[in-house]
Amino acid sequence: MTNRITQLMHFQWEQLHHAARIHLDPEMPLTYRDRSLSDTMRTALRLRQALEMETPYIFENELIAFTRTVPNLPRIFGDAEWAEITGSHFIHELGNVSNLSPDYASVFSRGLLAIRETLNDCELHRAMRISIDAVLDLTRRYEAAAREKGYTLLADTLARVPAQAPRTFREALQSMRILHYALWCEGDYHNTMGRFDQYMMPYLQADLDAGRETEESAFELLEAFFLACNRDSDMYPGMQQGDNGQSIVLGGMLPDGCDGFNLLSKWCLRASAELRLIDPKINLRVNSKTPLEIYEMGTQLTKLGLGFPQYENDDVAIPALEALGYETQDARNYVMAACWEFIIPGKGMDIVNIGALPFANIVDRVIREHLGECKTLDELKEIVRGEIFASVRQSVEERKNLYFIPSPYLSLFFEGCLENEKDISLGCKYNNWGLHGTGVAPAADMLAAVDQEVFRGSLPAEELLEALRQDFVGFDALHDKLKYHCPKVGNDEDAADSLMSWLLDTFADAVSGLKNERGGIIRPGTGSAMFYIFHANELGATADGREAGVPLPANYSPSLNIRLNGPVSLIKSFTKPNLKRTINGGPLTIEFSNSVFTQEESITKVAQLVQLFVLRGGHQLQLNTVNRERMLDAQVHPENHRNLIVRVWGWSGYFVELDKCYQDHIIRRAELSV
Amino acid sequence: MTENEGIVFDIKEFAVFDGPGIRTTVFMKGCPLRCQWCHNPEGLSPRPQLMVSTAACVHCGACRRVCRHPDACIACGECVPVCRGGLRKIVGTRWQAKALAQRLRKDADVFRMSGGGVTFSGGDPLLQWTFVSRVIDELGGIPAAVETSGYTSDDVFRDVMRKCALVMMDWKVSDPEKHRHYTGVDQAPIRRHAQFLAAGNTPFILRMPMIPGVNDTREHFETVASLAGGAPSLVRVDILPYQRAAGAKYEMVGKTYAPDFDESQAPKYFLDVFDRAGIPYQVFR
Repeated sequence: MTNRITQLMHFQWEQLHHAARIHLDPEMPLTYRDRSLSDTMRTALRLRQALEMETPYIFENELIAFTRTVPNLPRIFGDAEWAEITGSHFIHELGNVSNLSPDYASVFSRGLLAIRETLNDCELHRAMRISIDAVLDLTRRYEAAAREKGYTLLADTLARVPAQAPRTFREALQSMRILHYALWCEGDYHNTMGRFDQYMMPYLQADLDAGRETEESAFELLEAFFLACNRDSDMYPGMQQGDNGQSIVLGGMLPDGCDGFNLLSKWCLRASAELRLIDPKINLRVNSKTPLEIYEMGTQLTKLGLGFPQYENDDVAIPALEALGYETQDARNYVMAACWEFIIPGKGMDIVNIGALPFANIVDRVIREHLGECKTLDELKEIVRGEIFASVRQSVEERKNLYFIPSPYLSLFFEGCLENEKDISLGCKYNNWGLHGTGVAPAADMLAAVDQEVFRGSLPAEELLEALRQDFVGFDALHDKLKYHCPKVGNDEDAADSLMSWLLDTFADAVSGLKNERGGIIRPGTGSAMFYIFHANELGATADGREAGVPLPANYSPSLNIRLNGPVSLIKSFTKPNLKRTINGGPLTIEFSNSVFTQEESITKVAQLVQLFVLRGGHQLQLNTVNRERMLDAQVHPENHRNLIVRVWGWSGYFVELDKCYQDHIIRRAELSV
Repeated sequence: MTENEGIVFDIKEFAVFDGPGIRTTVFMKGCPLRCQWCHNPEGLSPRPQLMVSTAACVHCGACRRVCRHPDACIACGECVPVCRGGLRKIVGTRWQAKALAQRLRKDADVFRMSGGGVTFSGGDPLLQWTFVSRVIDELGGIPAAVETSGYTSDDVFRDVMRKCALVMMDWKVSDPEKHRHYTGVDQAPIRRHAQFLAAGNTPFILRMPMIPGVNDTREHFETVASLAGGAPSLVRVDILPYQRAAGAKYEMVGKTYAPDFDESQAPKYFLDVFDRAGIPYQVFR
């Protein structure tokens, strides 16, 4: 790390730039809310107002500029107007377009001025022009400020981009920074950054070849860019701070079939290890031929406790996406949404988290209502199957008449929006919806327990149901048997694992053939997002021996209250299902105690575990290194642990900034660590 | 304990400190030594026994109400499920050799791809060597390793060296009198087996638990250097610093942890001895 990066990092870590942030005047005139204006025009005018209110703020020794000083402006609708819209539409999350991967390179490689030339007088194009002009106007003011400070190189860079195409790595990074910054100002969120190592590599390579940058100077630019991603991230909307979707994807197959892991992929891993910040969050695409050395580079990051990289397996993901109807070249180009959903950059308006199938809740309900009337596990499974089909259908039927706030500026980054004069909020090449699947492991454990104890054993159904109603109070022996002496997913026991496979297959069967109102399909997944907290709150005690109040596991992971054999069995259990059928996303998570890494050779061993997962057909894996004692201390003395990073459900954040229910869940997971 | 049945107190997958590659370690119950610093007191007795986490006990009395052997625990385990805190468990499970081998063989593919295998630890696995040896025979070629005190008969030790791909043996205290005081047994057979290893062709690691005020002396490092120096099959020497948490589990098995050394001191290292002698080593911190 150069001195300059150390200084920039210190400045940012101490949040000295926060002093320049303004507070919005509640009486401020909101001219963009004029009733005569369309929603599209309002969005553009609000973006213009937000950028006009910005005052250029340049750090000492700044390399990559643009820092926010203006918080998010009030929405484009007043409360009454918004109530009218929400009354007659299905609104996803905040109502803004989110969780997409824009095609940045298609915009910065042409330059905003060249794109502006192609605009006509239709409303969307007028809104795009207003947006482009607002971005360029702020850039000009930044350029002037840089010149005034005597930062000639920075000023010259800002004079060039994003108006025109970048010629160097520095210009490309600066252009990317400005374009990405403005997305947040438009109100879009979870703005992922896609295949950063692919679209930036040509500029880096050209600089190195021409001798314009040394390896050291170019690496410094990369680190400055990474730092910039962390500057304003506390202002981004998310469920929790840190849930901001600034993910990048490294390596993986290119649309032409070649392998994409390059020098910049390696540099990104190295820069992240040096900086140890939560953004950008790194995904590493791998396949059965990936050399161990690349897994070892990733493991160096895992060791630091950053909660990434998250691994995606091309061997599973690409054919699975093709099977869902994605064109081969697009499938090969997949990236990750904010957490772990597979999406297509610049072409997908997929809504990957529109709902969730609550596996654990469905199986629990069927056991409570129908166990007595069933004589075999197959009869019970038949009812579960019907309920899964019904739940999925209901999810799709309830989501009718979607409305999104238009995003004319974001539309510049998506194929066909400009040409067809159609805002991205209305759809793009892919318009599929994704459903998460929460608690699949505990659901399988419940079925395995009733199979062993009731259908194959001598436990009367009524006794089990009474034990559940009493939360096992007075049923100690039964509780012990259900919790510790029945097959569990995660211990490589077919009796439980085959039921998880069956549940996931049933989910895939249930969505098969369904269409959403935009003509897209429904993608089933293994993720949970924050539903693992919500769905657990609706449950009492369950037949797998789980007491009421115990949370469900996050994503595609084993139950939290069981004894596990260890990570080898865990990987074997979780690679048994045909994961090509449930490719919306959702990783297996394995927690390691930090003590695993006290010897250097552990890096290789952990890397081999990841490789094992990939070779066995796993789709997605995420590893955490946790220090339980440190987390407990951080709950008592947060001031001493400001930089403690943890993985939550699909993203890494600072432990002390999380709500307590999420902190507690992570500590509980740590108790199961290797 | 027989050739076909052994008592195991834990099976740990992905044991990263017990040899090369991805390994599963089987902890065999029972040990002939009584080292004052032992951090696995539940591995000492060869029999299954009850283990209780007393710190979190709320004295609800549920365990006492179901107990049918209040005068002498027979580790029947009837009190285990009634504890609402989940604080009680039986350590020590009887395994048939074939069943244990089958459990271990399920991950043969993983051991093969990673250059790993199975490690038998303890306790001291050589106390149940006839059983362990039988399990190794059933492993279908999975490389086996042992972690041992080296305190056994010469015949058993030769057999171990024939059957294992790696032997990890402790060298605890160099002075014979102190050895008896701190470990409870005679050092002579252990020294002889260290010499077997040095002269043989089974890859081996000598392990030095570093106990402050007991063995953190230059003479101790020099003894290890003279035992291991020049041995063609020495992999390295592992230096294992004393863990202050060593006493944590004693209360759980109804014992008192009372070492007669000052555990608050950091042990001293004389690594220059190994550097000069050209002995490869690794310090576990």
